[in-house]
Amino acid sequence: MISGAWICLLSPLAAAGLITLAGERISRRGAGYVATLSCFVAFGGAIASFVGLLGRDGGHRAVVSTAWTWISGGSYHSGFEVLIDPLSVFMMLVVAGVGALIVAYSIGYMDGDDEERRYFAYMALFVFSMLLLVQGGNLLLLLAGWGMVGLSSYLLIGFWHERPSAIAAAKKAFIMNAIGDATMALALFLLIKKAGSVEFGILGGQYSSTVATLVALGLLGGAVAKSAQLPLQTWLPDAMEGPTPVSALIHAATMVTAGVYLIVRTHSIFEAAPHVADLAAGLGAGTLLVAGLIALVQVDIKRVIAYSTMSQIGYMFLGVGLGAYANGMFHLMTHAFFKALLFMAAGIVIHALADEQDIRKMGGLRQVMPRTYLAFLIGSLALVGIFPFAGFFSKDSILAAAMDRGAYGYVLWAAGLAGTFLTGLYTFRLLFLVFWGEPSPFVRERFHALNRDVVGLSLAVPVAILAALSVVGGWIQWAPLWHPIETWLQTVAEPTVTPKSWQEGVTSALALLFGLGGIYVAWIFYGARQRRPVPRFAFPQRVLEHKFYFDEVYDAVFYRPTVWAAKGFYRWFEEPVVDESSNSLGQDTRDLGRLVARAQTGLLRTYALAIASSVAVLAIVFVAVR
Amino acid sequence: MMGPGTAWYLGVAGFLFGVGALGVLIRRNPLIVLLSLEIMLNGGNLALIAFARHLNNGDGQIFALAVMAVAASEVVVGLGLIVALNRKRVPLDVDRLSSLRG
Repeated sequence: MISGAWICLLSPLAAAGLITLAGERISRRGAGYVATLSCFVAFGGAIASFVGLLGRDGGHRAVVSTAWTWISGGSYHSGFEVLIDPLSVFMMLVVAGVGALIVAYSIGYMDGDDEERRYFAYMALFVFSMLLLVQGGNLLLLLAGWGMVGLSSYLLIGFWHERPSAIAAAKKAFIMNAIGDATMALALFLLIKKAGSVEFGILGGQYSSTVATLVALGLLGGAVAKSAQLPLQTWLPDAMEGPTPVSALIHAATMVTAGVYLIVRTHSIFEAAPHVADLAAGLGAGTLLVAGLIALVQVDIKRVIAYSTMSQIGYMFLGVGLGAYANGMFHLMTHAFFKALLFMAAGIVIHALADEQDIRKMGGLRQVMPRTYLAFLIGSLALVGIFPFAGFFSKDSILAAAMDRGAYGYVLWAAGLAGTFLTGLYTFRLLFLVFWGEPSPFVRERFHALNRDVVGLSLAVPVAILAALSVVGGWIQWAPLWHPIETWLQTVAEPTVTPKSWQEGVTSALALLFGLGGIYVAWIFYGARQRRPVPRFAFPQRVLEHKFYFDEVYDAVFYRPTVWAAKGFYRWFEEPVVDESSNSLGQDTRDLGRLVARAQTGLLRTYALAIASSVAVLAIVFVAVR
Repeated sequence: MMGPGTAWYLGVAGFLFGVGALGVLIRRNPLIVLLSLEIMLNGGNLALIAFARHLNNGDGQIFALAVMAVAASEVVVGLGLIVALNRKRVPLDVDRLSSLRG
């Protein structure tokens, strides 16, 4: 079990190292196979850990394996250790499993790219970083993994480095994430000062409410940045500049859900600071509405899915903020299935249309790629939460949990239901626009590049597996009837809310109704044979197209003042003081040198005279002094 | 101790040194400058040997021998330079060899 966890952690790192060091000695395709194999090995290790934990009874399902003492100073020690407990194993299975499928998909998707080896090395590095994040046995290692997923995300968003927009998106993602990393580091400093340790265990200790609130706020800052929640959400849509499998793996299935994992992992500090937990839930609710609204007007197929990712992570934040940890984690898992599926199906569409992502140019793809349509349909139904697809089971249980939290809970519950309607609307707007109707002229012209439905096994098999998981994955837990995930995670994070059966029932019915309502509205405007014209409201539309002006506000509040200040310092300080002083220092030295250079006449006899007279003077002085 | 006193020897040595120094300073032909340098060195040698005799100590003579060795090497280098200059048709005038002027 312990060796399984270490194999799980280290095999992607070994693959990244191997691909990097081997260089051109392995073929591009070979690099893909190495990365994929390492991820499947990691998945095997995760299964071994899972089986090992199953063999133990509930109270003993937390094993720490320390490789060596990593940092030690005074009374402070922190080991390089992995923690194997139900939560980390759950995440290992999701990360390694979905990761392996997506890396396998990448073999087909990235085929022919000039820098395939670099891509696969980065992918393997990312999987390692993510596994380090979820397996790290203390907060410091978690933060190390946290930073490293940020790094690999940066590298992969900017993978096509000849595109200026990709570089800008990569920098934006990195800087936004760095804000979260910084608040997390501050929280850790405070913890080290107060408790002298960064073990997970100390989070349950007794702290004054101020300390607990500050630590929880710091951790929440990290979670919000990594998971693209309000107000640090603006990097995620731009991150779609990366290759599509990257969007599927990092910006849908695994990395962006790390914030949810963090809150569950550190739930005791959030329970000690209930206001911060409420804030997390509120931010989640706000994000799911904002992202759902923005998704309604986006025209880039990947950006629509990206906003839907933000929105779904909003649900998870809502759940874990309220204390429905198992429900949040369950939604994390099903979301990884169906969102990766949607991204990968979108990737096939983009491939088939020679890298076109604008949905206004698409249409009628159902007729030419029926199997991709089926996969996309399954993903969409699961996303909206239609029975019996995966999202139905996981999303509704989060909303039901909200009903158990008094008035504030009801506000969040209503927001979540409204979000369900929006989900149905934007998801099926996308589906109808891309797949329904007659093939557009653009599609007819571009599509001939690809006569088959799906390009090769590498693309088809992972999509098929994820489609199957999106259908059956939700049946693992049906909240009032059976709940293995809740039982499994109980020893790590005991839920603080327990919805009653009638609440589950009412929520499921309403959520289903709202989701179907959204689909119906989308059908009226985008899917029906006699479509109604889409109503246009100038002002709201402008607001949505500008994504609620977040970018503009950040630009005005942070970017421009910084640039102004920098220009001011340049104009009033650097130029007159720094530059001028060093320039005049150089000038003065040169003048002095010119003066001294006059002594160098080049005439041998003057030198001889100088030497002789100096010696004479010295001799006289010597004699006189004596 | 036979012969003139040490002061006489030192007088001759100082005279030789002075003549050499004057030659170095006022002559412009590098060959003569080199010659004058040799005279200066010999003045120094004479002083060393005079002191060796005065103090009844052989060290000064050893110094003089060392100076001779150095002088011989210096002449080799100096004459080599002068020959090289002459081959390149550079005028043999130390005042015109002034390209190191700052």
